[in-house]
Amino acid sequence: MTDVPFPNVPREDARQKVCGAPIFGADSPRPGLLHAALAVSTIPKGRILDIDTLAASATPGVRQVLTHQDLADLQLPGFLLGGYGFQNFQPLRSPDIAYRGQPIAVVVADTFEAATEAAALVRATYAAEAFCPTIDSPGVDIVDQADTPMGQFLTEPVAADADAAFAAAPIKVDIELKCPAQHQNPIELIATVAEWEGDTLIVHEGTQNAEGVRHGLARVLGIPAGQVEVISPFVGGGFGQKNSLQMQTALAAAASRRAGAPVKLVVPRTQLFQGASFRPASRHHVRLGADVSGTLLAAIHETDAQSSRIDFFPGEYAATSARLYGWSAFRGLHRLIRTDTQTPGFMRAPFEHPACFAMETAMDELAYAIGMDPVDLRLANDTILDPITKRPFSSRHAGTCLRRGAERFGWQARSAEPRSMRSADGSFVGWGVALGAYPGMMVSNVVRLTANSDGGVEIAMGAHEMGQGMRSVIAAVAGRKLRISPGAVTVVIGDTRAALQQPTAGSWGSASAALAIEAAADAMWKALAKLTPDGVVEGRSPSEILKAAARDSLDVETMVKPPGQPDDVFGLLRSGLVSRAGPVFDDCVSFSFIAHFVEVHVEPRLRRIRVPRVVSVADCGRVISPRTALSQVRGGVVWGIGAALREASETDPRYGGFLNADLAEYAIPVNADIGRIDVEFIDEPDGLLESGVKSLGEVSLCGVAPAIANAVFHATGRRLRELPIRIEHVM
Amino acid sequence: MTGTVTLSQAQPRRATASLSVTLMVNGAIHDLFIDVRTSLLDALREHIGLTGAKKGCDHGQCGACTVHIDGRRVVSCLTLAAQAQGYDVGTIEGLQGVDGALHPMQQAFIDHDALQCGYCTPGQIMSAIACVQEGHAKSLDEIREYMSGNLCRCGAYVGIVAAIEDVAARTQG
Repeated sequence: MTDVPFPNVPREDARQKVCGAPIFGADSPRPGLLHAALAVSTIPKGRILDIDTLAASATPGVRQVLTHQDLADLQLPGFLLGGYGFQNFQPLRSPDIAYRGQPIAVVVADTFEAATEAAALVRATYAAEAFCPTIDSPGVDIVDQADTPMGQFLTEPVAADADAAFAAAPIKVDIELKCPAQHQNPIELIATVAEWEGDTLIVHEGTQNAEGVRHGLARVLGIPAGQVEVISPFVGGGFGQKNSLQMQTALAAAASRRAGAPVKLVVPRTQLFQGASFRPASRHHVRLGADVSGTLLAAIHETDAQSSRIDFFPGEYAATSARLYGWSAFRGLHRLIRTDTQTPGFMRAPFEHPACFAMETAMDELAYAIGMDPVDLRLANDTILDPITKRPFSSRHAGTCLRRGAERFGWQARSAEPRSMRSADGSFVGWGVALGAYPGMMVSNVVRLTANSDGGVEIAMGAHEMGQGMRSVIAAVAGRKLRISPGAVTVVIGDTRAALQQPTAGSWGSASAALAIEAAADAMWKALAKLTPDGVVEGRSPSEILKAAARDSLDVETMVKPPGQPDDVFGLLRSGLVSRAGPVFDDCVSFSFIAHFVEVHVEPRLRRIRVPRVVSVADCGRVISPRTALSQVRGGVVWGIGAALREASETDPRYGGFLNADLAEYAIPVNADIGRIDVEFIDEPDGLLESGVKSLGEVSLCGVAPAIANAVFHATGRRLRELPIRIEHVM
Repeated sequence: MTGTVTLSQAQPRRATASLSVTLMVNGAIHDLFIDVRTSLLDALREHIGLTGAKKGCDHGQCGACTVHIDGRRVVSCLTLAAQAQGYDVGTIEGLQGVDGALHPMQQAFIDHDALQCGYCTPGQIMSAIACVQEGHAKSLDEIREYMSGNLCRCGAYVGIVAAIEDVAARTQG
């Protein structure tokens, strides 16, 4: 099925979206709905001594005010890797304060206005403790990842003796770089509508992990998972922040149970900067050694990354940077810095974007140190073997991405000298390039496929739609395998009532869905063959076979796991636990690649940095949904522009918490920040899966920020190794 | 001083000020009795049941709540519901024709895939229609500038500009 490209058709759910249909969690109307609001801690660390809720309770319209004195029976959710929560901490479970902005009370009222007013009237007195809110705080605790529980399953990537090879290399780059904490900021606020029908809890919430929310709620509330249903057919942007049980879901559920009425809790944007995960700040020390012809001899990538006092949020930066080029020696190291914040988490290309920024900045510096064109240096070090495992890549078209991108961009017209190109208005023009990589991963699935005699097909499976086009991918693969129009496929996802749900994250959505649907479709054809007198299904449609057999419908349920995974992954799936496979498989290593070419203009007086055009060429295997894939890459480029030039979550070391906690102070790209983005796909099927698809959603962002930073160097002669790059850095 | 206090036990601190408001939304009359502080966005979503306008910030920073008042685009989260009395309020739900036909801007958003998750999309479309009607869609740069009050975190800006350019060309041409 991989030999023919897929057609470019509109996304499956576009009509609902342009009509503003009530598809999101907080859209769900309920008679008698109550509204909840949170009061939060005003200190960064310590313990509540007393909490005064009288004024809040006396506010007209208020039904109840709950504090740690009411909810001490809540249990801990466990941290996502092995548990369910974005952190192993449940606010209101105890008087302990672990970070500024932590919820200390939940107010339930008849109206949103009353709940909000009352929450602001809750007053607490605290016993404050010393705290370390940033990775630069004096005395902050730094641990080697290998010495943490994470070290058991995250081994450092090492090949040969990189330190010796670096020491002996004739040409060296040795630099330190810094990436800030950032927040995902999906435009859909994290929100829960919780209601009880008897003993059954029903939750409407935009989540990338409905099964994890279900099992996590069961654990926190101390009820069987069979009594929890989580419904999340659409997510208004997730970007990793919605990949787990959030802190407010159990609060809304507990409040609803006590109130005997459905409760809606929409967490305000400002509270989300402390109330949910974020991209940890990280420091990178990169060393590259090469010979004078540009052959890479050694690379060393050491990272210090922010974690919390609550959990060890792991670092996997070097796992991707190690795969960028064919160096003969490599060494990675991760250290974790335990700050007094909520636990950081996964934000689109969580490790891979900073890793590519660090390594691809170093590669540009090396190109200038050698006097070699940055594209030529990269092409000279391309590889078909993974330098860490020595296994072949399942496919790798990084070189083709670079060559096609260079041609489309017009790279040959670049003059290498910094500050040597000007635009008509006098702006300094910079052209930069960088490569991005992201691992190819997959998860297991249990698919229920129903074919109807009227020609319709229904698929219920574990996947979530958060804008990437999941329904389009599922319909395209099912349509092709079952020889029906994609429009005849009804997709039921993000609903624990319909099927076991896998978290949709890590760019594994399309590959996992395609893997599952192909197996389900094969099972369906086998079952259909048994309904025919001659066992032949070729040339017949499912509905023809069903009609001839006088059947209204046929159901098949198929359990599918990625290559090399043990059978017990289905046990993890049933428990709502993550069980990803890859990127290292028995016979190969799977990564997607992308080359970004960027033009920046630095204005002569104001020194504003603009990005009028970007050319991106992606190697994501077979493109299943060309229209939504194009949007994915464009979106990734917009994210890269934000990461390079705008976004940082600021902490005042005196007070903790995040200061710029709204969309005016945390600047994400607006329409006027974005120019032309030309995208091209290699669209060559990968050999690992029948579908030929690899990962796309996150690789699209990887490499954009270093391409911009390299272009800023070319425009200004300033080598900037800390993100974001702003006007004041190029004055 | 602590713990749960239910409404029946609490002494009202003061009466909440509520008022009767009559809103005309998409041509239909809605009589509401609401807290004076109710924003137009919350009136639409929580009291009238029109959830097309979205809450993304509640501070007028993201544009997801954009609706029309007498054809002008406003952020409904920064507009009190009471202020909208006496005006025509238009929301995304009112764009389709009686036969379900899409507004040309809705169709253009589909054609150019000017959306991803769909959360900011109602606000983008309401802004886009106004952008063309205002005469602020005469060039790509002008569209970008006048659509910069509507954030799209998925990054669908290239498609959004293309959709507006498409509709503007047909409207003006």
